[in-house]
This record gives sequence, structure tokens and C-alpha cells, in this order.
Amino acid sequence: MAENQQKVTMIELFGAGVIRSVTNCGRFARFQTDSLFASAAACVSPKTYSLIWNQMLAIGVLSVPVVMITGAFVGMVLAIQAYDQLAGLGIEEHLGVLINLSVVKELGPVLAAVMLAGRVGGALTAELGTMNVTEQIMAVRSMGTDPIRYLVAPRLIACLLLTPVLIIYADFLGIIGGYLISVPYLDINSRAYWNFSASGVELWDITIGIAKGFFFGAAIAGVSCYKGFHCREGAQGVGQACTEGFVGSFIIILAIDFVLVVVFKAIYASVWPVKLLL
Amino acid sequence: MNSENNNYLITLKNLTKRFGKLAVLDDVSLSFEKGKTTVIIGPSGCGKTVLIKHIIVLLRPSEGEVYFHNERIDNLHEKQLAKVRTQMGFLFQSGALFDSMTVEENILFPVMQHTKIRDRAKLQEIAKAKLAMVGLDGFQEYYPAKLSGGQKKRVALARAIALEPEVILYDEPTTGLDPIRSDVINELIIKLKKDLGITSIVVTHDMKSATKIADRIIMLHKGRIEADGDAESIQNSPSQVVQRFIKGEISEGDIQSMQVSFEDIKTNGKK
Repeated sequence: MAENQQKVTMIELFGAGVIRSVTNCGRFARFQTDSLFASAAACVSPKTYSLIWNQMLAIGVLSVPVVMITGAFVGMVLAIQAYDQLAGLGIEEHLGVLINLSVVKELGPVLAAVMLAGRVGGALTAELGTMNVTEQIMAVRSMGTDPIRYLVAPRLIACLLLTPVLIIYADFLGIIGGYLISVPYLDINSRAYWNFSASGVELWDITIGIAKGFFFGAAIAGVSCYKGFHCREGAQGVGQACTEGFVGSFIIILAIDFVLVVVFKAIYASVWPVKLLL
Repeated sequence: MNSENNNYLITLKNLTKRFGKLAVLDDVSLSFEKGKTTVIIGPSGCGKTVLIKHIIVLLRPSEGEVYFHNERIDNLHEKQLAKVRTQMGFLFQSGALFDSMTVEENILFPVMQHTKIRDRAKLQEIAKAKLAMVGLDGFQEYYPAKLSGGQKKRVALARAIALEPEVILYDEPTTGLDPIRSDVINELIIKLKKDLGITSIVVTHDMKSATKIADRIIMLHKGRIEADGDAESIQNSPSQVVQRFIKGEISEGDIQSMQVSFEDIKTNGKK
């Protein structure tokens, strides 16, 4: 046996690694396809509505406070950071454009999604992972119910629908936070602050920020549920799955964000001319 | 052939299961008779649980076929299997109760999933009846975390019989329970067979339980059938493996290997 092990060459190890990666990719893709079909089916079956409502409470409603806090701090930090440079140029009244544009286009959606990946994604992986190692998922199967349809679909739908809504909360508090620092604290003229903001931030900017939420929500639920369903046994297995789930969704959120920015920018550029803000 | 088949509810044909290179089940062929209790015994790791999971197709065979009511089921899609699975109840070793649900919700889970009953009073009545059958009426509002090991298994059994299945598969029903609680489970298995005519397939390494409940005992060893017969014929089996298992003795080879390793430690210590 020991002799056999010694004979494993580097090429074989590399090959085994490649096979494992391809297998994992295939498994991930199949899981996501199944989840997608199950979610579509769940949308038209009233039996699953109560499950979706429950998940909406856990995923959406209970996440509102943390997402709002995240948004508020983002707005406040941006105001403090950017003020000196703009004031040095004598254009501090443009601060509103900078803060609000950054918040609604990028920081609000991305940071709210990262917060959700931690709060919601972690909980999803831990819950499903524990169900997996205690054979509860297999019990669902043994009773003739598709666990993807029963467990994944409601979570995916709730995440998909509510992440954009939570982003609106983050945006809203980001705008308020930025305003509170800029106007009462830094003494910028309120009317000028809002006027510049209104002319700089377009409906398009707000829309793409919220639209990103659908993709982020799907990514968080997809990765977290997958990790929960495929976690290894034991407490360590669940812990590791949570870590991998969070890191995975974080990276996917950033990658999706990059792709969406490129796509949305191309769409914008093909319809409207580039608008200079200063 | 057909008339003979009619007595058999489940048939396994040349079942082989490999995990990587390791063959856990090796060409096992078996039939399970309707209305009888068949017990599969064997040491831990002999493939008992893997075998029972193939009957309800929670695992798919590497080779071989599984038949239920003379129809092949191991190649069915998960959706088609749902119907087959509603005719079987599976009692997991750990119980596998949903810990976020109450006892009543656990029992009503399969009912809600597979029947159109939505009337609250009717549902409560079903849960009550199933719980009464396992002697736990009154525990409806408890969460599984509050139950003892034996109670969990009884609730899991109540859930397994919720859809009134034809077959119940028990995976180590008495493991981890004290002798009295074990006997409660044994009595329940006998009662379900007597009252409801349920076919039972039990996987266990508890010989006392096996002799009490079994109409037929099958011993698995290293993924193969070592012995097959009623309790008495197993007790009198000439096979060394069977006799050692019944008496709970380990083989000479194992004893020797342990002695060798102890002596190694001693001599290494002296060096």
C-alpha cells in the first residue's frame, strides 16, 4: 500500500485535481439548474407560498436594521473623506453628487450584498449544512419530497426578491447619512447640495443599483445553499462550509458587479452621451 | 416464477455498490416477503445501512437492480421515485427529525406534502393517532431537542407511518438505547406488523432485538450474504463468522494483530 502511494506522480496529482474541479463545477451547475427550475415551479404552486413568506421574514425583514446601518455609515464616511479635496477646489457643494452617486450605483448595493452574504448566507449554509449532516435532507428525500424544491427554492426566491428591496433601504440611509454629515456638520448649503445631487444622479443610476440586487441575491442564495447541501460531516464540516459559502458569495458578488458595470456602461453609452458631472 | 414473485414485495438483483475502489456491497441478491419482518444483521461497516438505503433508492447501485412490486425502481428519476417513496417509511438511525418543527409538524410533514388534507382538526387527529400508536400522545407541541433518544426514534417512527406505507425500513432502531427502551421499539415493530400488516426490513447489530422480531435473519459480512434463515437456523449456523458475531467474539487474527501492536509499543519503549 505504502509503495503504491509513493508511485503517485505529480502528473497524477494534477490530473486528480483537474478531475475534482470539473466534477465540482458540474455538480454546482446541476444544483443551480435544478434550483432554478424548482424556483420557477414554486412560483406557480400556492403550496410553497407559506414557505416563501417564512423565508422572506428571516432573510428580508430581519436584515433591514443591519443593512440600514451599513448604508448610513457608507454615506457618512464618504462625506468626511471627500470633503477636504472638494473644499480645496472650492466645489464642496458638489459633495452631494459624489456621495449619492457612489451610494446608489456602487457602495450601497455591493456593501448591502456583502452584509447579506454574511448575515443571510452564513445562516443558510449553517442551517442547511446541519440538516445535511443530521440526515434531515435525506429524510426529506425519503418521504418523497424534492429537497431542492422544499428547502432551496423558497430561500432562493426570497433572496432574489428581497435583496433589491434591502438595497433601497441601504441607498436611502446612505443618502441620509451623507446629508447629515454634509449639511448640518460640514455646513454645506442645503439647497445647493440637493440641487447638484438631483442634477447628477439619474434614474438610470438608481435603477442599475437596484437591478444588481437581483443578481447579488441569486448569487448569495445559490452559493450558500449549495455549500450547505454539500458540506462534509461534523461540526468542522459545517463551519468550513459557512466560511467557503461566505468567501464564495463575496467573490461572486464582486465579479458579478464588475461584469454588470461593463454591461450597463455599454448600454448607457449606446443610448446617451457621457455626461460630465463637474 | 411470477406466482412465486407475488409473495415478494422487494427484490434486489446482483446489487453491487462501490465507493471509489471499495466495494461495500458485492453482488447481493435478496427478496423480501410481504407482511414479514426481515432483519439484516452484521458488524458495523459491513454495508447494512448502504443496503437499506438502496431499497428506497436514497443511494443508486453501481451495478444490479432494485424491484418494488416487480417494477424496477433503481433507474427511475427522483420525481418518479417520489410516488414509490410514499409507499415506504424510512426510520433513520438518528431519527432525522426536523429540529425546527414541533413533533406534530414533523409527523404532518409527509401528510401535507402528499395529500390534499388541509382541515386543521383532521390533521391534528392524524397526528394524535400516529403518536398514540407509538405511545407519545400529548407530545405534539414539543420540539425534538426536548425529547430523549428513545422518544425521538418513536416520533420518527410515527412520522414514517404517517402515510400508512406498505414497508418500513428501520436503520439500527435500537442502537444507542438502553435495554428497556430498545424493547419498546421491538414491541412497536411487532405491533405494526400485527396491526397494520406492514412489511418490515430492519438493519441492526443488536442480536437480542433481531431474534425477538425477525421472521427471517440475513447476515451480511464484507458486503456479501453470509447466512440466511430464521432465528434458530442462524443460531445453529456452522459458519465461524456468524457464530462469532452472535457470541460477540472477535477473531483470532484480530486478537493477534492487537497483541503484535502492543508488543511493538513495549519494545519501542525499551529502546
